[in-house]
Amino acid sequence: MLGALVHLAFGWRRATTWVSAASAGFVLATAIVLAVEVSRSGPVTAMAGLLRVDALSAFMVLVIGAVGLVATAATPAYFRAEIDDGRATARTAARHSLLVQLFLATMALAVLAANLGVVWVAVEATTIVTAFLVGQRRTRASVEAAWKYVVICSAGIALALLGTIVLNFAAAHAPGTAGLDLATLSAHASGLNPGVTRIAIALLVLGFGTKAGLAPLHAWLPDAHSQAPAPVSALMSGVLLSVAFYAILRVKVISDAALGAGFARTLLTVMALASLALAASLLIGQRDYKRMLAYSSIEHLGLVAFGAAIGSPLALTAALLHVFGHGLAKAVLFLGAGRVLQFTGTSQIDGVRGLIARHPALATTFGFGVLALAGLPPFSLFASELGIVRAGFTAGLGWQTTAALALVLVIAAALITNTSRMLLGAPSTSDTPAATPIPIALAGGLLACAVLGIVAGPLPALLDLATQPLAVTR
Amino acid sequence: MYVQLLDLACGALLLTAVLVLWRRELVVIIRVFALQGAALAVLVGVLAAHENSAELWAVALGVFVLRAGVLPYLLRRALAGAGESRREASPLVNVSASLLAAAALTLLAYAVSQPLVALAPSAATQAIPVGVTVVLIGFFVLVTRRRALSQLVGFLLMDNGITAVGFLTTTSVGLVVELGVSLDVLLAVLVLQVLTTRMRETFGDTDLDELRELRD
Amino acid sequence: MSALGVVGGVVQPVLIVAGSPLLVGVMRQVRARLEGRAGAGVGQPWRDLRKLLRKERIAPRGTSEVFRFAPLVLVATTLVVAVVVPFVATESALDPVADLFAVVALLALGAVALALAGLDTGTAFGGMGASREMTILALVEPTLLVAIFALSVRVGSTNLGTIVSSTLQDPARVISPVSLLAAVALVVVIVAETGRIPVDNPSTHLELTMVHEAMVLEYAGPDLALVELASAMRLSVFLGLLANLFAPWGIATEATPLAVLIGVLALMVKVGVLGGLLAAAEVFVAKLRLFRVPELLAGSFLLALLAVAASFFLA
Repeated sequence: MLGALVHLAFGWRRATTWVSAASAGFVLATAIVLAVEVSRSGPVTAMAGLLRVDALSAFMVLVIGAVGLVATAATPAYFRAEIDDGRATARTAARHSLLVQLFLATMALAVLAANLGVVWVAVEATTIVTAFLVGQRRTRASVEAAWKYVVICSAGIALALLGTIVLNFAAAHAPGTAGLDLATLSAHASGLNPGVTRIAIALLVLGFGTKAGLAPLHAWLPDAHSQAPAPVSALMSGVLLSVAFYAILRVKVISDAALGAGFARTLLTVMALASLALAASLLIGQRDYKRMLAYSSIEHLGLVAFGAAIGSPLALTAALLHVFGHGLAKAVLFLGAGRVLQFTGTSQIDGVRGLIARHPALATTFGFGVLALAGLPPFSLFASELGIVRAGFTAGLGWQTTAALALVLVIAAALITNTSRMLLGAPSTSDTPAATPIPIALAGGLLACAVLGIVAGPLPALLDLATQPLAVTR
Repeated sequence: MYVQLLDLACGALLLTAVLVLWRRELVVIIRVFALQGAALAVLVGVLAAHENSAELWAVALGVFVLRAGVLPYLLRRALAGAGESRREASPLVNVSASLLAAAALTLLAYAVSQPLVALAPSAATQAIPVGVTVVLIGFFVLVTRRRALSQLVGFLLMDNGITAVGFLTTTSVGLVVELGVSLDVLLAVLVLQVLTTRMRETFGDTDLDELRELRD
Repeated sequence: MSALGVVGGVVQPVLIVAGSPLLVGVMRQVRARLEGRAGAGVGQPWRDLRKLLRKERIAPRGTSEVFRFAPLVLVATTLVVAVVVPFVATESALDPVADLFAVVALLALGAVALALAGLDTGTAFGGMGASREMTILALVEPTLLVAIFALSVRVGSTNLGTIVSSTLQDPARVISPVSLLAAVALVVVIVAETGRIPVDNPSTHLELTMVHEAMVLEYAGPDLALVELASAMRLSVFLGLLANLFAPWGIATEATPLAVLIGVLALMVKVGVLGGLLAAAEVFVAKLRLFRVPELLAGSFLLALLAVAASFFLA
């Protein structure tokens, strides 16, 4: 079953339009099967112990599958429009689909790997695979974005490699552990040398934090997200960041066992609050709507990091749910933004006026998406934000939670103001209202996000299982 | 003898890192980088001789081919297309200041890696600060240089340092990981090289000061 | 005070005073031959000195005692260094003075005296030369200290004699990263301190570039002879120090005539070879622009610091 998944993901396919979507759908289906399997009978190991699925991995595959499905389902329409406008050729589209497949595969590998070293290799591989996706359009700005993306991410990830090596060193000199197997490491973490482990953890969190877009090494994120083609932005923002964060969660387990909860908590809280503050300050005056969405990703990852920092089961469940909800909503929004860009030809907020009059369906989707991002009910982000805040207060992180909450409110206000400027108002040109069909994928994604918010469905059992080993035991 | 050779290789590693920081001509920098790759290979070779392990000898050979052969070759090819811009004309931090900064980084590396040395004192682990220094100097080059190629060298310098730390701490992190890491580095360099070419096509230059379009 | 120390203390200054103009002559000759000229011969510096010494003492109007005493201070400090540093014999006549810090301070004292004299003349060139010399000195001295200190860490003593004899006993130490880094740093520093290319050009009087020559522009007659002699001695002292710190072989360890003779010959050969190499290198190197000099010296300082760091963590 696992082999099938990996085979499929690595499968060498020519990009006939729907194959990507089909394979993403298959990933999703496999993920559901996996999830059921895991919640019924515990972790599964495959490929000579290199791959290992527990509830957390299964959940992450689920996220990858779902967001991947949304993004790839919208891809054909996107490329049809691009090719019509002469901005892309069939070859670009084919290469794009191939790279996206590889991208999904490397992400799946990252969350399924049983060995921290393999996790690192997979995460770095995502950088390499996506580099050309970001620079696909070959304009000045997109080449610039791709360069910054590769250099900053590779350098950040290199720090994580150093951390991995140092951790390996610590493991080699601790009783019961050898090598970088995640399960063994977590189980025997208390025997690790604290001084060495502290260096390793700090490097790992900083390194993977780069890839997750957390401050202080976030500079690549707005550029890359705003320049990449819409489906790629959707995938990067929706899942890539969370995959990197998954690595941090794994590291945090080791850290908690070896050093106590305080170390990772302080580190993550500082990074989370810095990310939130940064996103808030740059969102208020933002003039580019794709960059606006990118900064909102930093904000949400900051929130997830804060949830992880709190570390109680409630907070972790909420954080994971937040990952899912944010992935869906952000994917929908980036795809919507891609459509808006195709229609208006500008990514400036000021250049888009009265969208609701010209493209009512698209504008409605976009509007609801932003409401979801701002954390309003009925979307699942509301539930998860509420969960994180509640957990924060119960865990005694009073003022940190208050600060986070205040920043989130500022960000929500900024988002809604900016979006209303885009959607409302009289159209600048006398366009006739066009009946643009919104791809079902977008509506479907939003719907899923809303449904997730109201009834969590069969997820709670999985989430419970996933957070069990992660939670701080007190 | 083992200790002395090991120390000598580490000294060469350190010296080449400093030279990269010092020199401005990109051709010289690439040559120095190749030397550093060779020094790294020697380091691994010395460890291999000490541990008497055939696997490690093979790794040393691989390191030599990749870091003293393939990567400098790629860099040189990227440079050959660069035309007249062959000097790191004005780094963000001038050379004398960056040399002094490197001195400070050395002390920092020494302070930071104390717990590592203390965990298992041996001739090899005592050289860990050297590796950490190379990583920090690489990071510094990456941050302060403006030429695309110099940044690339900075990244590779970091990677050399990390590899050195890897071999000095424990002699293996597992074959899969080792291969994956090497492959990733190679691919990253390839990607960056292609990007450099594209940058030259669109900007007419590889001075990263031109990268000013995207900012808030 | 041992017999060897006394012998060294007598032989060394005589050798340095007599030999250093010859060293300068050799270096000029090497350069001349490499540049395709016949050259003035090895003895020319001595002939110059003799001519200058016969002239009348003359000082510019308005200069003070500082101007007059500076050459004496310069020669005196260098002479003390020549007495105490282990050039020919490992033991020193004044053992406490053969200390790393004392020697570096003595050498700096001479340089400072000369810079003050340059300022004292009140001319534009004197002041300019002095300010440049001070800039270079400020960068050179710490490097010099740190580089030799790196070598002294392993020995556990800052006494130069002890450092030299320990290298003599354990020659393998020379091939270590500490020695490697310190040697590179020392070479750069010595080139800068003695005013050779690429930092300064000893044979130019071009106002844009000269450093050392600008300071001594106002000297004439016997005073100039003293300054010239002192510069030559400083060059010999530095080269001798470099040679004996990294390749002390041949130095006398006992007070027999044969050992001392071998020590003298070894020193002459080592310093002669180093001087020849330096002169040959100068032919191929262009002078650095003045504002690039701090870069060079910062680099050598870094190397020296790395040497110290290495001597601690690669112990």
